[in-house]
Amino acid sequence: MDKINFRFLFIISAILGVFLILYGEWQDTHMEVRYTDVDYLVFSDAAALMASGKSPYERSTYRYSPLIAALLLPNSFLHHMWGKFLFSASDLLVGLLIHTILKLRGVPEKLCTSSLMVWLFNPFTFTIGTRGNCEPIVCAVILWIILCLMNDQLVQAAFWYGLVHLRIYPIIYALPITLVLHPLHFQSGKKPALVDWSSRKLMSLNGSSKLRFTVLQFIRNFLTSIFTWRGLVFGFVSGSIFFILTGLCFYFYGWDFLDEALLYHLTRTDPRHNFSIYFYHIYLHYEQEFSSLEKLISFLPQFIVQLALIFRFAYDLPFCFFVQTLTFVAFNKVITAQYFVWFFCLLPLILPWSNMKLT
Amino acid sequence: MMVPPKTPIWMISPAMTSPNPHCSLCYILQSKQGARFQRYAMEVQHFQVQLYLAIGFGLIFLVMSSNAMPTTHEEQKCFGEKYVTKTYFKIHDSLIDSQFEEFIANKIPLGLCDVHQDERYFVPRLLAMHRNLIGVGSHRQLSSSIRIKMQGESKSKLPAQSCQVIIIEKLPSGGFADPFELQHLVHRGVFTDVAVLGDTNLELPSFRSNRSVVEIHLDMGYNMSSGVKDELKINLRLPLHARYAPLGHGFSKVEFGQPDLLMRCSFEGKAFDGSCSFMLKNDDVDYKASPIIWEVPCGIKEHAGVVSAVTFLSAIVSALLIVKTSIYHSHNTIF
Repeated sequence: MDKINFRFLFIISAILGVFLILYGEWQDTHMEVRYTDVDYLVFSDAAALMASGKSPYERSTYRYSPLIAALLLPNSFLHHMWGKFLFSASDLLVGLLIHTILKLRGVPEKLCTSSLMVWLFNPFTFTIGTRGNCEPIVCAVILWIILCLMNDQLVQAAFWYGLVHLRIYPIIYALPITLVLHPLHFQSGKKPALVDWSSRKLMSLNGSSKLRFTVLQFIRNFLTSIFTWRGLVFGFVSGSIFFILTGLCFYFYGWDFLDEALLYHLTRTDPRHNFSIYFYHIYLHYEQEFSSLEKLISFLPQFIVQLALIFRFAYDLPFCFFVQTLTFVAFNKVITAQYFVWFFCLLPLILPWSNMKLT
Repeated sequence: MMVPPKTPIWMISPAMTSPNPHCSLCYILQSKQGARFQRYAMEVQHFQVQLYLAIGFGLIFLVMSSNAMPTTHEEQKCFGEKYVTKTYFKIHDSLIDSQFEEFIANKIPLGLCDVHQDERYFVPRLLAMHRNLIGVGSHRQLSSSIRIKMQGESKSKLPAQSCQVIIIEKLPSGGFADPFELQHLVHRGVFTDVAVLGDTNLELPSFRSNRSVVEIHLDMGYNMSSGVKDELKINLRLPLHARYAPLGHGFSKVEFGQPDLLMRCSFEGKAFDGSCSFMLKNDDVDYKASPIIWEVPCGIKEHAGVVSAVTFLSAIVSALLIVKTSIYHSHNTIF
């Protein structure tokens, strides 16, 4: 009964995805407003340029890694919907990973299914993949990293973390992962002491828990955890993968790649996407250049919040990732609609622990 | 508070003594150290997937880099002749109306047809041109309806084989055309050819952008020697987008001037064989009285101080609230 439930959800989700992709084709040809995202056309054009041997950065507004254009190469010779099917498949993969992680943490079946539906049947998330946005792939990688850390596969997790080359934002997870890898919490051969479902009831009875530390111990743990063997291995492997990928792309595409794919995102202050709280401020001051002091001040709230959340919640890794991503997006100078998917994929991981009635 | 004892990394846990049947390297090492190597060997095997992925991507990159196709000089030359405006931008850096008028009058590639000297061609004449800005919001369409008289006065004049109407829209810096959208229209057959030249950036506001030019080619596509049609009617819709305007009060006005119309015809006959362009002048005075104006909303400069203060205040207050909540959050509950 339990297995059928999950498989049933999966199949319905897959059918919905296929239906939406086909519907998208119809809407593109028959209506004024297109279903397909502009970004998908940018990816396809860049992939077509890459297929004919030129640089994908000749396509203006292509601001991603060449790897994404490489993933969409079959768009040119197979079918132009290949990319959408790939992204929808990663959407389903994210669902599968969420289910695996929840089962690993011992969450009861019904709660697991309800939490899974928050991702699979959320109209925001299933349209992102079918419209041709590449976010589900990044989400799948992040969840896979969490799963690897839970299964004590350190090098594997580090390898996939190196794919921060695709999107810069997972760099905010570096510190909590390093803290979690401290031997106190991550004994080799055993699974890390993430909050398990069964220990949830015990926590309220037992006043003191493993997770409670004084400030001094926090600082000591932090300093020692950076230099543990496991932390160093993680840093080394992920750093090498990142630099190898970046170096390879730089070798092929030069400064165009660095400017568009990496540096643009770090210094981006465009006033055209108006979800951010800083939007109108940037728009009104666009004619003048921003002073370094202004840039620092706008960066400060984000930085302080990230540090506070890491130090308080690092040992409950999924929850830490979720609040970090949410606050990172909320305080960012630029927010586009696809950024919301970054924390939507982590929401099902923490929903079972909320006090809301879900079943 | 109980702190669990540290388990040294080299101690085996009972679950790891039996070798994993999926790990081929594991049978070799059975000692205490062996268990540790066994785990790392398993990780190496997990790595195989990543290795294959990396090799795959590497191969793709190699293939792509070796496939580079050089553009021939001939193509560039043809491109320069195909689009009239391209030649203008080879000579000048930016679009200035007076320079462009002079260029159109004197320096068009393929040349203006020698109408006065030879009297051998028919002369197309512009009868009427009506222009309008359709739509609302930041994305509108510039619609032009053009009527051209095709038949010559006397039958002795040489009829053209095929003609192409060239419309050159000189856009102000407050608006732009998306080249990719226009290419899409070419694929759907709405235009024969389109080129956007000048400052084609899609994102910068108008005070950081320069002007651009859109050149549209429309094939008339009929053989005029059988000469049935007297008049050509063209209805054109050019999708345009507004750039962010400089700060001001309320709305800023973006003015669209008149396009330059050319007709490029190819002739075949005993007397003359080749192509040349006719300049279609609009003698209608109407357009000067009511130019097309697009009102683009702009931000109000006086608000800047208040907006900045409120923005930074709310950012700092919410940041402090979050920090306070996380510090004082009870340790017994998760959330």
